[in-house]
Order: sequence, then C-alpha cells, then structure tokens
Amino acid sequence: MVDTEPEAAQGEAEAPRVGGRVQSVIAGAIPVALGAVAAWLSFGLNIGSLTEPGPGLWPLIVAGLLVASGIGIIAVTAKTRRDTEAFTRGTAAVLAAAGGLAVYASLYEIVGFEVPTALLLFAWLRLLSRESWLTSAVLSVAVTAVAYVLFIIGLNVPLPHLIAF
Amino acid sequence: MDFSSVLSGFAVAFEWQNILFCLLGVTVGMLIGVLPGLGPAATIAILLPITYNLEPTAAVIMLAGIFYGAQYGGTITSVLLKLPGEASTVVTALDGHALARRGEAGPALGIAAIASFIGGTASIILLSFIAPALAGVALAFGSAEYTILALIGIFLVGTLGNGSIIKSAAAAAAGLLLATVGLDPLMGTPRFTFGTDQLADGIDFTIVAMGLFGVGEILYNLEHRNRPQTAVPSFGRAIPGRLHWLKSRLAILRGSVTGFILGILPGGGATMSSLVAYAVEKRSAKDPSRFGKGAIEGVAGPESANNAAATSSFIPLLTLGIPANATMAVLFGALMLQGITPGPGLMSDHPDVFWGVVNSMYLGNLLLLVLSIPLIGLFVRMLKVRPGVLAPITVVITMIGTYSIRNNAFDMLLVIGLGLLGYGMRKLGFEPGPFVLAFVLGSLLEASFRRSMRIFGGDVTEFVQRPVSGTLVAILVLTVVVVPLLRKVRTRQTANAEQSGVTAE
Repeated sequence: MVDTEPEAAQGEAEAPRVGGRVQSVIAGAIPVALGAVAAWLSFGLNIGSLTEPGPGLWPLIVAGLLVASGIGIIAVTAKTRRDTEAFTRGTAAVLAAAGGLAVYASLYEIVGFEVPTALLLFAWLRLLSRESWLTSAVLSVAVTAVAYVLFIIGLNVPLPHLIAF
Repeated sequence: MDFSSVLSGFAVAFEWQNILFCLLGVTVGMLIGVLPGLGPAATIAILLPITYNLEPTAAVIMLAGIFYGAQYGGTITSVLLKLPGEASTVVTALDGHALARRGEAGPALGIAAIASFIGGTASIILLSFIAPALAGVALAFGSAEYTILALIGIFLVGTLGNGSIIKSAAAAAAGLLLATVGLDPLMGTPRFTFGTDQLADGIDFTIVAMGLFGVGEILYNLEHRNRPQTAVPSFGRAIPGRLHWLKSRLAILRGSVTGFILGILPGGGATMSSLVAYAVEKRSAKDPSRFGKGAIEGVAGPESANNAAATSSFIPLLTLGIPANATMAVLFGALMLQGITPGPGLMSDHPDVFWGVVNSMYLGNLLLLVLSIPLIGLFVRMLKVRPGVLAPITVVITMIGTYSIRNNAFDMLLVIGLGLLGYGMRKLGFEPGPFVLAFVLGSLLEASFRRSMRIFGGDVTEFVQRPVSGTLVAILVLTVVVVPLLRKVRTRQTANAEQSGVTAE
C-alpha cells in the first residue's frame, strides 16, 4: 500500500454512479467463463450417470446453471436497467488495501504479528483514512498492544509473536 | 412441547455467564446497528473465531443477541438522522424522521423500542410452540425432502433478496460451485483442489463468511467512505405518551404477526417484513395521507415486524437446518464450529442449547428495551467515531481471527481473495447473501441429491411422486407465485423511501 490518489480520499459523490453497459456485460460474462471452466474441469472428474452419480456430475450441473444465468444476465441487462456500480478512483484504494493485507498475511509467519499489525494499521490510518501522523502513530501502537493483550494473553490464541513474557 | 426442557432452558438462559454474554451480544448488536456500514452478518462472521473457546450455548446466545440487537440499533439512526443503520429499518425512517423533525423523536424512539420488544417477545412465544411441531415433522425427512428443502431455501433467498433474480441465481450457483472444492462427500475424490493440500479439506465456512461479509464490506465501504456528519436533533426522553400508545397498539399487533410469518420464509426476514408491515399499515389506515409525514403507526408496525421476523427466522435454522438469511447462514456456521448440527435433531439432542438460546431471547429483548431508553444518547455519540478509524481496526481483528482458525496464513490470503470477490460482486450488482447461503447448503444439497438419485434409480420424477417430497415440490411451486407479489410490495415501498431520500446502507 504505497499511495492512493488524493481525490479518492476526498470522496466521490454519496450515491455511487451506475456502471456502463460494458460493465453490465462483464457481469454476465464472468459467470459464463467461470461455468465453462468448471464444466471443463468436471469432465476431467468422473461424471457417472443419474443412477450412479460420479464426483463430476454435481459440479457439471452447477456449471450449467452458472453458464445459463450468465447468458441470462447478458440478455437482460443489454436492454433493461443497469444495476452495477461504476468503478471510481476509490477502487485504487481498495486494491491498495487488499495488496497491503496480502503483504501483511505473508509477513505473519516470518516476523510475528506485532510489527506487521502496527505497520498495517499505521499505513491504513495515514494513507487510506487520512488521519494525522500523530493519531495514526498512537492508534496503531495502541491497537496492536490491545490486540496482543486480548488475543495472546486473554484468549490464548497461538499467534506467531516476537515479544514473549 | 416438552415443558421440562423449556423450563431447564430458562435455567440455562439465566446462568450468570449466559446473562453476561446475552448482555454483551445485544449491546454489540445495538452498537453495530447504530453504526452504518457493518451489518450483523459481517459482525457475527468476524467474531466467529473468538467464539471457538466459548461454551456452545453462551456463544450462540451472544451471536443471536447481536442479530436482534442490531434491529433495535438501526432504528435509532433511522429516526434521528434518516440514516438507517440496517436495511430492515429503512422504512422506519419515513415516518420516524418526520416525527423527529416535529420534535417528537423521543416518543417515536420509545414506541419503536416498545414495538420491537412486543414483536420480538410475541415471536419467541410463537416460536416455542411451532418449532417443536415443525422439528417433529422434519424428523421424517429423507434425502429427497432435504434436496427440495435446500432448493426452496436457496430459491427464496435468491428471489427475495435485494438484487435481480438472475444475478442472485448466478451468485448462488457460484456459491454451490465453491462448496464442491475439496474431497467429494461420498467418494473422497479431490475436486478443484488444484493439487494443494490447503484446499483438500474444502474451504471453511468461517473463511467464506469473514471474506465476503467482513473484508468484502470493509473494502466496499473504503470506496464510499465520506459521509457528511449530520447534526443530531434533540430528542428528550424516549417515552411515548398515552396518545401515541393508543394509536400504535393495533399496528404493533399486526406488525408482529406479519413479521413472524414472513420471518419464517427463507429470504423474507426482517427487511421484507418491515416493508410489508408498512404497506399493511398504510392500507388499513383511515387517512393514508398521514403516512410519510409522521404517522406513529408507520414506526410501530415495521419495528414490531422486523423484530418478530428476526426472531422467527431462527425457526428454519433450528428445526430444519436450513438458514433463512445471510445472518442465519453465519449462525449455522457458528453451530457447526461448536460441533452441533442444526436440524430437527437439535431439540432432542441438545435441548439445553436449543431452549437456552430461545429463552435467552426473552431476556435479550428485555435488556434491549431497558438499555435503549436511557442509552440512546450514548449510542448516538458513537456515530462520531470516524469510519476511517474503525475500518483498519476491524480488518486487523478479522485477520487475527482468521489466522487463529487453523494457525494458517494461507487462510488469511483466502479471506482477502474472497473479500475482493465480495467487493467485485457488489460493484457488479451481485448480492453476497445468496452466494454464502448456497455455499452453506451446497454439500447438503449435493449429498442429498446424489443419494436420492441412487434411491430413485435415476428417475427425477420420483421427487414429485413421493408424498412428502411431492408436497415440498408443491410448496416450491407455490413460492414461485408468491414471490413476485412480495417483490412488488417491496419495490413500491423502497421506491417511496428513495423518493424521500432514504437509502439503505
């Protein structure tokens, strides 16, 4: 989580904008693609028959449902109302947050939970929530400390941690 | 009904630690009801790992308290700020906020609290009588019946949910597909594991719920996080006058019944029933034009309905093992984590859990009534906590909780991935509810379907020919007729609400 556009944090309009037609079609194309892949993989398993269903039969049925509903979505949304939401500049913040979380998760077992937790909190508070340096620093350390007391001492959760008593 | 187990259920509910967890649950519920953004399903999902070490009854009492407590909390912001904390209180904002602007916020909140209390309590009493009967019937259910029942559940959640029907179908299908990851339930063949051992046991329900509801909601709110701070109107004491009470008592009665009935329907739940109750009040009023301008019945009806529905939506879960809405799906997961399978056997196998949880709801509703009147001011002050501060803290709790399930960092990555999926689904107009529900019911549906097909020798028409499953098929067909009617009522009411500038979180 390096940087986000400043405008994203200033806030878009309260009501999210409706997505375009392309987005509506994508909303239908994804289930179709997912269903097609799942169907292809199901054939790799044993389909069996209705009398003796194999492991692949049920996924195949479900995949068929996915493809059918995906086609339905494309057919319906091509002419009726659009119920998607446009991606905004805030999407970058969302992706940054998810990326930051992935880094956080990978560091966990290597360096313990304290440092990554404090860093994640600090980065999120400072960069995504635009809190002041002081608030971010104090809160990130305080919340990490509370989490330590609550989870490791209180609930006895076996988290990987550096500091031991 | 076995009265001795009902009574011993009271004994369980009134053990001091259970009272404490009930109080904790309803307080947390009320709090998240007030705070927009995080709904009860997300909160319960995030707290699931923490309940690992608790005793089953205490855990479920607390989680249930969060659910019905949120219905009370959502009302507060609906009335005072016209910002419904929960979707089920959107319609309350119409007349509730109009009353608040007229300086009658106190009585409106008071009536809402009393209506919620009466609706909730009436619903518990009805539940206590109906649940044992229903569980008795369900004990005779076999694979064929469970196949149809699971289908009814998924169908209703998909169609009565907020999104378009076809998108809900796609979301449900995707949930069913995700449920097939892992070993085949009957033959043990690995499916869609892509060769990793990490996926061999399938994906834990907790991971899915925490990802889609927890992280997904946080990411979604990250994009739209700036909401204007609204000044809170003064509301005085939350005690209604005699006139308010006289005007709303019939509305409360009607709302309780509407709520109870619609709450049992999968997918109906609190939101739908509050909307229908509002429509009922408007229809039965002598002067419908008062509605939207501060009719107290417009607060009393929906509020008793959403609480009655919140309570009765436990019935399908506790008696059939079919969760009726997203929150119940998460509670289903909570029970499974404790090694308790929700279903017709629950009442006889774990009477202490069943009646302990059910009877704790009397206490919970009473606590909410007592708490909500003096503490409204305090809860409103919680609105000053910035979402930007709350979000990272919630994320960290979610992540630590995820890790603690299996001491596994791979699960954390899964939760993040599912969180992104939840975010993407919301952006593309898919409801996460049907997805999660289908995921929960997926293995039950598949296993019962395959067993039935073996029993039937591959003949699908047997589902209709057997008397019990045939009746259920008839119910499934009937719902296809009823659903459009309910959707119509909802569309109209939601349109009304949107016209007056109220949108759900």
